[in-house]
Amino acid sequence: MKILRAFIFALTIAADVAYAGSAADSPAPISQPATASTPELNLRWMMEGEKRYRTNCGRCHQPPHKFEPRVMATAVRHMRVRGMLTDEDMKYVLYYMTH
Amino acid sequence: MKRALARLCLVIAVCIGLTPLGTTQETADLRAAADEAKPIPILSGGAAFVPTWDSGDPTLVSIVSPVLLVPVSRNLMFESRAEFEGDFVRRNGNSGDFTGAIEKSLEYAEFDYIGNKYITFTAGRFLTPFNIFNERLYPNWIRDTQTDPLIYPIGTGSDNGLMIRGGVSLDPNITLNYAVYFSALSTIHHLESERHAGLRAGLFFPHHRLEIGFSEQHVLQDARVNRLGSYLEWQPARVPFDLRTEGTYSREEGDGLWIEGAYRFRNARASLLHRAQVVARTQVFHVGTVAGINPDLPTIDTRRTEGGLNYYLNDGWKALASYGRTFTAAGNSNIWTVGMTYRFVIPLGPAQ
Repeated sequence: MKILRAFIFALTIAADVAYAGSAADSPAPISQPATASTPELNLRWMMEGEKRYRTNCGRCHQPPHKFEPRVMATAVRHMRVRGMLTDEDMKYVLYYMTH
Repeated sequence: MKRALARLCLVIAVCIGLTPLGTTQETADLRAAADEAKPIPILSGGAAFVPTWDSGDPTLVSIVSPVLLVPVSRNLMFESRAEFEGDFVRRNGNSGDFTGAIEKSLEYAEFDYIGNKYITFTAGRFLTPFNIFNERLYPNWIRDTQTDPLIYPIGTGSDNGLMIRGGVSLDPNITLNYAVYFSALSTIHHLESERHAGLRAGLFFPHHRLEIGFSEQHVLQDARVNRLGSYLEWQPARVPFDLRTEGTYSREEGDGLWIEGAYRFRNARASLLHRAQVVARTQVFHVGTVAGINPDLPTIDTRRTEGGLNYYLNDGWKALASYGRTFTAAGNSNIWTVGMTYRFVIPLGPAQ
């Protein structure tokens, strides 16, 4: 019973943090286009994305080839939960796999 | 043990709560760029045909395991995996026609809500996050050795309940991942689960491609056993080699460990060899103090060593063959495996 109570308590705290975090994470006004604004930034994100893709995806299975962008968007969200990718890892990998 | 678990739940929640929240302009830009592609539902999964000869008796193992992923909103996703497995054996052991039923199971059907960059909430039926094999390596198209580890039945399976989990970058060199969960008892056919609570925490060092972690689980029914586990995963950056190991301890059920190494010939001169991978695994299991408490475990102390070859025909197909030897006080036996696995991804909407 104590464990259940602790779990519910932890869940409540986590929900509070999630709410606060969602507010902090809500998209800032975007002044840039949806792709990297400069070729240098694009190259940096692609290199970082490839590095994180090789580091994270290969931990469990042979790294897959690129799928269509919208398929990849779903698969990466799935892997964020299943493979415990960080938020940053997910974004870089998704950028790399869809550009 | 209960107090320790309760304290750990609290510490994890507080630590997450204390982690600073913030967003830089570049992060916002990256998110906007990454969010350009809107997710669509997909049907994925794997199929495997892996005939196995254990002690000379053949079993035609045939598995189809579809995975459905449905993004409901930007932060909410439904995911589910079912498994249809037919283990067809000969009617008279070594002779006669093959017969057997197809077992159906719902392995997970869960809603995941990504609260923020530190927390994901999961509710429904989910895979028990005890060590890593159950959650990450179980599908046939992923695993390097096709037989289940001997210790696999300890603390794994599916749970019905709630879970908090996430991956947090502590600094560029260390990532913490954690899962805290509670499962309710269910005796509903195909939806069975045990009443227990547990946690898993791991540290991943991305520059070294090394992950270490531990698991703890306390059963809240019947014998109220405790289960402890630890794991290590290492993939050196310069060598196409995977090293994985897991250990599990339960006083009542038993204890054991397995260690597996797999080397892919990516740098071989002959291009034909680039798709080949050799794998070896050795494992040991010791029975616990309560005989038969977990009917899926070996009934006597067992050691097994296996070696095999995987050949990745393309991104979806894998051919495999392996040989192993099982050692017990009751006698030794061979285990042979040969077969194919296939991984598929089908978009259920416009993919572009």
